[in-house]
Order: sequence, then C-alpha cells, then structure tokens
Amino acid sequence: MTPSSRLLLLPFAAVAVCAPAHAMVYLSVEEAQKLMFGDQALTPLPLSLSPQQVAAVEKDAGVKFFPGSLRAWKGADGYFFVDAVIGKHDLITYAVALGQDGKVRQVEILEYREAYGGDVRNPRWRKQFTGKQHGDPLHLGEDIQGISGATLSCEHVTDGIRRLLSVYDIAIRPR
Amino acid sequence: MTSPSAPAEVCRARPLLGTRVEIRAAADWPAARLHAAADAAFEAIQRVQERMSFHDPASDVSLLNREALQRPVQVDGATYSVLAAALDLSRRSGGAFDVAVGTRLQLWGYLPGGEEPPDGEADWTAIRLLPDCRVRFERPLRIDLGGIAKGYAVDCAVASLLRDGVQSALVNAGGDMRAAGPAPRRIWLRHPDAPALGAHQLTLCDQALATSATYFSRRLHGGREVSPLLDPRSGRPCLDGASVSMLAPDCLHADALTKVVLFAAPVLRDRLLADCGAQALVQQASAVAA
Repeated sequence: MTPSSRLLLLPFAAVAVCAPAHAMVYLSVEEAQKLMFGDQALTPLPLSLSPQQVAAVEKDAGVKFFPGSLRAWKGADGYFFVDAVIGKHDLITYAVALGQDGKVRQVEILEYREAYGGDVRNPRWRKQFTGKQHGDPLHLGEDIQGISGATLSCEHVTDGIRRLLSVYDIAIRPR
Repeated sequence: MTSPSAPAEVCRARPLLGTRVEIRAAADWPAARLHAAADAAFEAIQRVQERMSFHDPASDVSLLNREALQRPVQVDGATYSVLAAALDLSRRSGGAFDVAVGTRLQLWGYLPGGEEPPDGEADWTAIRLLPDCRVRFERPLRIDLGGIAKGYAVDCAVASLLRDGVQSALVNAGGDMRAAGPAPRRIWLRHPDAPALGAHQLTLCDQALATSATYFSRRLHGGREVSPLLDPRSGRPCLDGASVSMLAPDCLHADALTKVVLFAAPVLRDRLLADCGAQALVQQASAVAA
C-alpha cells in the first residue's frame, strides 16, 4: 500500500507490545438477575434431564449438550438461565431471561475469556510466546478499554441460546 | 473507580450483529440509570440488526434481495440512508466499496443460502434510490450491508447514549467502535500476525475506529483460499495478511473506508479519506507470515 498523509504505515511490531487476549467480567450472576428481574425472588430450578431428554435436546438444537453447564432459576414472570459456550477463540458465559411464554426477553454476556494464543497462525510467531500459552488469560490493563481488529464471530452464543430454548421446551415448559 | 471525582461507569456486553457488542457508559448517576441508558443503546443496535441483517428473512435487506428486481420496495428510513451512504462511497471510490457482493459471499459460505446465483450479476450502479424510501434493482444483484451497517449501528448506539445524557461512552461492536465525550479511551490494535496479541496502542477521543483484516475469517472454498473481504470489481478475495484500521469522525465511515483503503486507487483513496476527515493506519503482515 502506498503511504500518504492519509495512510500511515505503522512500524512493524517485532514483538507484540502486550497481550490483548483478555478476560472481561461484565456482570455477576446476581447483577444480571437484578437487571433482568428486579427485586423478584428467583428460585433455583434443578435440571435433571434423562439421557433421552439430553438426546432430544441435541437433536432439536443440532449442538452437543452437557447438562451441568446450564443453570436455571424460576421467577414470578419468567425464567433465568446461566450458560457457558466455547468458541474457536473464546469462552463466553451468558445469561438469558425468558418470559412466561418461553420467548427470549434479554441476553447479557456475563464473562468473556479470549483463548490466549489459541489461534495464532504463524508458527514462528507462536514460538516466541511458548510458555505463555497455558497461562490464564490476561486482563485488559486498567487503562485499556478496547481492542480493535478483525471481527470475532459470536455464533456459538446463538447455538447456545438455541440449545437453551430446546432444554426449556423439552424439560421445563409447563404442560 | 480510581478517583472520587471520576463518574460511575457501567460496562455491558450482548451478542449482536454476529459479534460481541460492548457498551461502556459513564455519568454521575446511580448505576440503574446508566444500565437503562445502556439498555436503550443495545435496543438501537438491535433495531439496525432487524432491518439490515442478511441472515434475517424479515429484514429490509432480505426483502430487497427477494423483490427489488421485480418492483420498487419501500424500506425503513435508516436502511435507506445507509444505502445512500454506501452508494455515495461506491461512486467516490470508483467501486472499491460496493454492497452488491452478497452473491459471492454466499458462494464462499460467508452468508447463508445462495444456491442459485442470479445470472449476469450487476454491481452498485444497478441500485436505484427512489423517492419515499423506495429502492429498485435494475439488474439482478444481492446486497449485503455487512461492511457498513455495523459502523452505523455503533453510531446509533452512541447517539442514543448521548441523547440520554451520559457524559462519556464507548461502543465497540467486535472491533468497530466509537468513543464519545471527554474521556480519552485507550485502545489496542491486534497484531495481524498474532491477533491474540496487541501491536499498537492508541487513544480515541470523540472518534470512531474500525479495523478490517482476514486473520480470523480466511477459509478454503473449492481448494482455494477465500476471505469475506473482496475486491468488488474483480471479485477476488483479499488474502493479504495486512490489517487496516481507520480513524474517522463516525463509525459508519470508519467501517466502510477500511474496504476503500484495501481496494481503491491511491488518488481516489486519499481524496475520499481527506473529504471524510479519516486517517488510515496500516499494519503490514511480516514477511514470515504463513
């Protein structure tokens, strides 16, 4: 690309200055409950799906389901769920509020953890950071407030919500 | 908060626009009021998604792709204005930015459907904007607003937050972001060779920033590599490992202009960037990139 007054070629960062691979906690479970249900009392709803129900959920949603990752509560006017999904580059914990009608009322991401070095394409680059590969994701610095780059898809959350709706339909919905 | 004088800030995220959208809003308010302002801003983004998503059969974009060749189709004013901005950028960039790339993105599996590509597909010049928010395609084509609507959605969220009176805000839709208010925001640019890592830091203040790069999205199609960034005129995918970031006054332009930098002639590019008050920051991939 030809540089000009409008196009600045940034100097090549030979060694990355720092790691933006990060973890963000947006809301605790309690904060999300309050945000979605106000002061309503929420009662934990034990989910004990039979193997047949698990198979039915997987067939209906088209994704694997490991019961245990999903937690549910019941409120006066709906249901509250907390679930986690793993994507190619990240792990996302999220909360969903369903109305009495089983329709999604609100979705909030609670926690985001980017896989650190999980998909670095270049082996030579990767080698520089071995030893950091298995560390915990680093937190965004106190004064850093965002990361710009190619967009990471969030499709796995969509899959997770579809699965959660199947669980609701198969194991929770009053009949 | 680090100092007693700093206003309270909430930071929330929702899955929208196919990515993680993060909203930070700060004001000397109780947290509940800040959360309500963030809710309203997320809803503004949701409305853009409902109108402009290629994936939603009920969106304006899907309606246009189904019917605008047969008859003039009336769309929402927001969709109409994004299309008008897109066509303006197409004209001024010599076609380096073009929303009429839907068919190819379907063919490569970046968009759903597309079993039957239309014959003799046209480019942006076949899109007619008519009075009363009506749109007509004069030749067969399918539009995708993925290269511009995310930036527009960020602008809508910022407008909503400012209308509600927050002091400062940062809305970040998967790397396309805009900062508003007096608080400077420190941002990392991902390293194009090692996107899990940061290469450069910069500070945003009442500005938008968007980045286009292919490191997360390149894939194989029919034995050759493709990417969702493509030169609309040749139809060839961008496989350069570079990362293009754009600083601009608003996020719609920051988003769309990254594509202009990748594909426009330097003379057109520099004039357009100057007209838009935009500045491109390019990180080239290292020679050792795979």
